[in-house]
Amino acid sequence: MSVQVSTPAKRPTGEILFALVFVSVGAAGLLAAGSIPIPPSETGIGPRAFPYIVCSMLVLVGTGIVAQVFRGKVGHAEESEDLDVTAKTDWLALAKLVGFVVLHIFLIEPAGWPVAAAVLFSGAAWTLEARPLWKAVIISVLLALVLQYVFGGLLGVSLPPGPLLEGVPFLHG
Amino acid sequence: MLLEGFSTALQPVYLLYALGGVFVGTAVGVLPGIGPAMTVALLMPITYSLDPAAALIVFAGIYYGGMYGGSTTSILLNTPGESSSIVTALEGNKMAKAGRGAAALATAAIGSFVAGTIATVLLTFLAPVVAELAVGLGPVDYVALMVVAFLTVGALLGASVLRGLASLALGLFIGMIGIDDSTAQQRFTFDNPTLVDGIDMVLVAVGLFALGEALYVASKLRHGPVEVIPVSKGKNAWLSKEDWKRSWKPWLRGTFIGFPIGTVPAGGADVSTFLSYAAERKLAKGPNKAQFGKGAIEGVAGPEAANNAAAAGVLVPLLTLGIPTTATAAMMLTAFQRYQIQPGPLLFENQGALVWTLIASLYVGNLMLLVLNLPLVGLWVKILQIPRPYLYSGILVFAALGAFSVNFAAADVGILLVVGILGYFMRRYGYPVAPMVVAMILGPMFEVQLRRSLQLSQNDPTALFSSPFAVVVYASMALIFVGSWWLRRRQSALEAAPVKEELSV
Repeated sequence: MSVQVSTPAKRPTGEILFALVFVSVGAAGLLAAGSIPIPPSETGIGPRAFPYIVCSMLVLVGTGIVAQVFRGKVGHAEESEDLDVTAKTDWLALAKLVGFVVLHIFLIEPAGWPVAAAVLFSGAAWTLEARPLWKAVIISVLLALVLQYVFGGLLGVSLPPGPLLEGVPFLHG
Repeated sequence: MLLEGFSTALQPVYLLYALGGVFVGTAVGVLPGIGPAMTVALLMPITYSLDPAAALIVFAGIYYGGMYGGSTTSILLNTPGESSSIVTALEGNKMAKAGRGAAALATAAIGSFVAGTIATVLLTFLAPVVAELAVGLGPVDYVALMVVAFLTVGALLGASVLRGLASLALGLFIGMIGIDDSTAQQRFTFDNPTLVDGIDMVLVAVGLFALGEALYVASKLRHGPVEVIPVSKGKNAWLSKEDWKRSWKPWLRGTFIGFPIGTVPAGGADVSTFLSYAAERKLAKGPNKAQFGKGAIEGVAGPEAANNAAAAGVLVPLLTLGIPTTATAAMMLTAFQRYQIQPGPLLFENQGALVWTLIASLYVGNLMLLVLNLPLVGLWVKILQIPRPYLYSGILVFAALGAFSVNFAAADVGILLVVGILGYFMRRYGYPVAPMVVAMILGPMFEVQLRRSLQLSQNDPTALFSSPFAVVVYASMALIFVGSWWLRRRQSALEAAPVKEELSV
């Protein structure tokens, strides 16, 4: 929902693959919908009808997009503040960010939310080339502690403080 | 009734909540790349432990604050993130570049206040009437209304009809995961305990809006310093008598363009800003007309007023019919549902006290917005200057916090990540994300009403056209589509116009 700009023509392989994701979700849904149990008391169209409609729509619309792309009507990438539209996609940065979110997920339970959050923030800041790095790390620790205090302590959202901070009373919900 | 609402909303504690909501809403809304829908989604955790009245008050503040924050960004940075701010950027950014940023912000703030207040008054009188009428609507009528909402949000508003519909269908699909409302059967859960309860709306919204946007920006981040146009201080910067004279009519016109458009239970609240801009441009005379495209104050005053009036208007179908027509409204509905508040015709009867508190806090929030925003412009400028690596890292952390605090399950952050990656590719290939959010929340309600109508008619599909109301709704939908086609042609003609003028000179 933003200003649309035309991107320079590229090989639309990625775009076709993405449209095929819609098609395959729809196709898988059509297969899976057949095994939704229908209670014997059902007198209406039942729990399968709407899945069939929606999944068919996914298949049809996805196929339509593939056809459009083949005819040269590619999508217009969204514009945004802070975006260099002419830059090449930095896949490495994306992979790093996804990696840090995954790391964050696995750290929440054993290490506590503040540690996981600090790791996510410093990792992301490092990926996005924040300089100097030590500053980003300090900010991440402060941010994590402030968020833990505000949400865990003040607002009563039960974020696990983790073994490191277990003993600090004001960080608890 | 409204007075009772005020007596709640005006308690000192609740006033403080309203102030906090407006402040946080504006501060987050100012952040580049964060639209109002994302502001509401990201800030949902801060209300989890509040009582319903306090939470609603905070949300009213966030709703208006996020809206206003967006216009500040577009005036001072150009390149707006959401479509409702595009028009503001047209003239507002030119004004800022000409050293009149403070005047642009002031006319936006006062216009938002005027429009917001008038629209809230209209809402106060209109909503109970609509609710009373809506009690008489049957499932067939709801099906018709929701079909219109789906098609307008999905097909009408994006640049590509098919991509809008794909986004819509995916939202409907995700909405089906979990337990079927009518028969309690599991659908598409693959016996996975995380999926049995369905995928939480907050995860999808935060994933699509916050994580998707952060990933998308990260993939093509513009490095280097952030250029924010400085806001000049001093006497000349503020609204002059001339500015007031030129602003008040656009404020009022914007209000009366925005409110009706927001009230219609169909997508397209953003259209009001375009319409208001076109109207102001047409009505301007003499030297003022020549200023359009170079920083005409009418071009900020009108659309800003229209935007806020539409935002209040959107609450009419949301509160009385339970139908959200914008992504932001869908987020508000999600927030309501967390507090077991089910918007719909019976809302005013069943939970009158809460609704009137909400409406009263809309008045309060509007006033606070005005009081808060003019003196705090300096702070918003500082927020705009946050170095981008920190900004987007912070958005990631906040998104993860929001996702985790839904159920305190780390697996939810995993779902967030999957949706975020989806949101990244949707942005990359030009799929609008708003239809998905609206479809996800409206889909299950639609299915219930559809099945109910068919059950009543012994599965006779022609019954869907049996009520006169539904027929009228479908007919107006056809009209809307013809009208939008006409508008689109006009809009492209408008955009082409300056070129022609240059040619003729």
